[in-house]
Amino acid sequence: MKNSTPRKFSLPWLDQPVSIAPLVTLRVIVGMMLLVSTLRFVALGWVDDHYVQPVFHFKYFGFDWVEPLPAAWLYALHGLLILSSVGVVLGLYYRLAAVVQFLVFTYTELIDLTYYLNHYYFVSIVCALLVLVPANRAWSLDALRRPGIYRTTTPRWTILIFQLQLGIVYFYAGIWKINYDWLIQALPLRIWIPANDQLPLIGPLFRQHWTPWLFSWAGMLYDVTIVGWLSWHRSRPWAYLTVIVFHTLTGLMFQIGVFPLVMIGATLVFFSEGWHERLWARASRGWRRFFTSLAFTKEEPVAVQTKPSTSRLLFILLALHFTFQLLFPWRYLLYPGNIFWTEEGYRFCWRVMLMEKAGTAAFFVKDAKTGREGDVVNSEFLNAHQEKQMAMQPDMILQFARFLKKHYEQRGVSDPSVRAEVYVTLNAQSSRLLIDPQLDLTQVRDGWAHKTWILKDR
Amino acid sequence: MPNRVSTFLLPYGLLATMIFFSCDSGSGGGGTDNFDRQAMLRNYADNLIKPAYIQLQNQTNVLHSAVEVFLTNPDPQTLTAVRDAWVSAYTDWQYANAYNFGPAGESGLRKGLIEEIGTFPASTAKIGAAITAGAWNLEDFNRDARGFLAVEYIIFGQNQSIDGVVAALIANAARRDYLLALTENLRDRSNEVLTAWNGTYRNEFVQNDGTEAGSSTSQLYNEFVRSFETIKNFKLGLPLGKRPGQVQVEPQLVEAVYSGQSLTMLKNHLTAIENIWYGRSRSGQDGIGFREYLESVTGGNDLIASTEAQLAAVKAALNAVPVSPSLSEQITGDKTQLENLYTELQKMTRFFKSDMSSLLGIAITYSSGDGD
Repeated sequence: MKNSTPRKFSLPWLDQPVSIAPLVTLRVIVGMMLLVSTLRFVALGWVDDHYVQPVFHFKYFGFDWVEPLPAAWLYALHGLLILSSVGVVLGLYYRLAAVVQFLVFTYTELIDLTYYLNHYYFVSIVCALLVLVPANRAWSLDALRRPGIYRTTTPRWTILIFQLQLGIVYFYAGIWKINYDWLIQALPLRIWIPANDQLPLIGPLFRQHWTPWLFSWAGMLYDVTIVGWLSWHRSRPWAYLTVIVFHTLTGLMFQIGVFPLVMIGATLVFFSEGWHERLWARASRGWRRFFTSLAFTKEEPVAVQTKPSTSRLLFILLALHFTFQLLFPWRYLLYPGNIFWTEEGYRFCWRVMLMEKAGTAAFFVKDAKTGREGDVVNSEFLNAHQEKQMAMQPDMILQFARFLKKHYEQRGVSDPSVRAEVYVTLNAQSSRLLIDPQLDLTQVRDGWAHKTWILKDR
Repeated sequence: MPNRVSTFLLPYGLLATMIFFSCDSGSGGGGTDNFDRQAMLRNYADNLIKPAYIQLQNQTNVLHSAVEVFLTNPDPQTLTAVRDAWVSAYTDWQYANAYNFGPAGESGLRKGLIEEIGTFPASTAKIGAAITAGAWNLEDFNRDARGFLAVEYIIFGQNQSIDGVVAALIANAARRDYLLALTENLRDRSNEVLTAWNGTYRNEFVQNDGTEAGSSTSQLYNEFVRSFETIKNFKLGLPLGKRPGQVQVEPQLVEAVYSGQSLTMLKNHLTAIENIWYGRSRSGQDGIGFREYLESVTGGNDLIASTEAQLAAVKAALNAVPVSPSLSEQITGDKTQLENLYTELQKMTRFFKSDMSSLLGIAITYSSGDGD
């Protein structure tokens, strides 16, 4: 190994030049994933289904100012997202493209809390991190346009941040699986696996009664340790094989779109510089004709190495980001009760596919003057996905109750109060009341404080 | 070194190996509690859905013929035959109204079969306008001017004697043509769906045996729940004035208000729902259904117990509703039993709606969350 110098955790070490190739691979993969997933999203008609059709959108806490733009604008924005992701892949006007990609993608995610997915959150973060790194300094049209920016190296931190981010995602996803239901009861896999027993090839395995336990334990061990195996060069090929197997399996079992591809692609960032350089060298042989015709790399450009001059501000920013990443997922400890039941501190923590939960929520709107109470038909206002997500998440129930108050006030109900009878089933247990059914939800404010109106689990 | 690596990676290796070994060991192994979804779908297709459409197609045929007979010889007697045919066809429809997918599903501008032929209440204004204009389009979005309930309005009339209804039809050729066009449309739509089920769709349905969105189990389940909720929300809730913003009961909103058959239809509809739960044919022959499916999954027996206890409560409440007067009259008069039935249906909802899909792992939407 070449690292004879002691690795001291200091800024100079973080600034040390390393090969830029892994960063280029990552840039191309992330851009491609966004391109594919946006094209898919538009082609499936989801812009209309998710953002245009619903009469009501659930807001992210602190982001209630985010409104859906008119349909034409939304389509234009998705077009822009496609363009910017192409820009990122090609490294063309890279910084601009990366900024646009991050902003547009994050905006569309913020429109409606219903569609929150951990992997969208992950993609948003990776897009933000991509803005900060010079991933266009090699293998890019920018380097072709302005040969002056061409570099064969990049400061170490520019790659490290992606490894760290991925490491956090996997590690947390793993440790949250260490709980009684997951490991001992094999729940929710005991529900999900038999439901997938018709899958070709692996279907018969899914009918074995011990399979959920095998998958629960293997899944936990995988998540907790995979970054270690990927980092160690001897285990890397095997580890990557399991990455492919693991994500292919989850991709087959669950409707999680392009997420498996994102992870299979992103984990390449753990591969050695040499591997990435060989990858690009091979690509270069194929494209040499094209590039030489464009007068690029006619002779190997001199690897210009300027003194790393990464600003302290950037380091502080990144330090803050990762501190947040490490600490925020633990906030659930500050709330009493079972996190699966209350979902207080559940989001933005890499709690992925951890529970099977569903609810039925019946809302009652009462006219203060006449005392007449009416039953809401949720599907008048919500699509199936919105109703499904709302019916088990207290903060969304609250938002919907507020909406109902406003809606029926305009329809002539005087000073409406809204209560809800919400029955929730968690990991195959009989459904129980989630919140106090007599409480006027319009009087409750959402916030960071513990929601005392959530009833106790069990 | 490589040895140690493989030891560390044992869990993953095991996982990967299992996938390749599974094909040999899967079929025989003991301790499996696998459920044959194809057998369930086969039962639904052959013993519930197809017979329902066969019956519907037969009776809409009978209805259309009765209208033809009436038109050649319009008198109270032939109109009575039309009315009887309508009642039995509409009864049959209660057993077919929960399968709005595949050939009965939405396609292009056409909505599901239930919207196309089962929309209620019918718009008397639109029907009147079509007759006055002497022109109609049975493919457009005016679904409340066609289907069973539009036919009902024309043949039973609103507070009209049977002679009055006959006279109105004799007096107006457009009225007669419209009636004929409506029953023909009913017949053709039913025929279309049945033809598809008799053709390739039956096997397509049975073989699409996953649980993901768009699978037969998911489609059947979703429509089952929707059909059940229709009873509570629209057949009872709306006329009872249960919606926020409604300031009084609205008895004219009941299903089949002109024939006074609302209660009979409601009972048949609930029986159809119960049949789907059990996987039971209309003639009472029990087969593999959602109930049996639940028996095979974690927590399923508890849910079966709660569901069937509630089902019994619903039926008791239903039986407590007097047979006469008609539903709309009960709504304006003593509605205690109806309120009670509504409450019992409300309590049923969660068992069908979220508990069942959760235990069975049925996806109800195409895009799914990873947080649940």
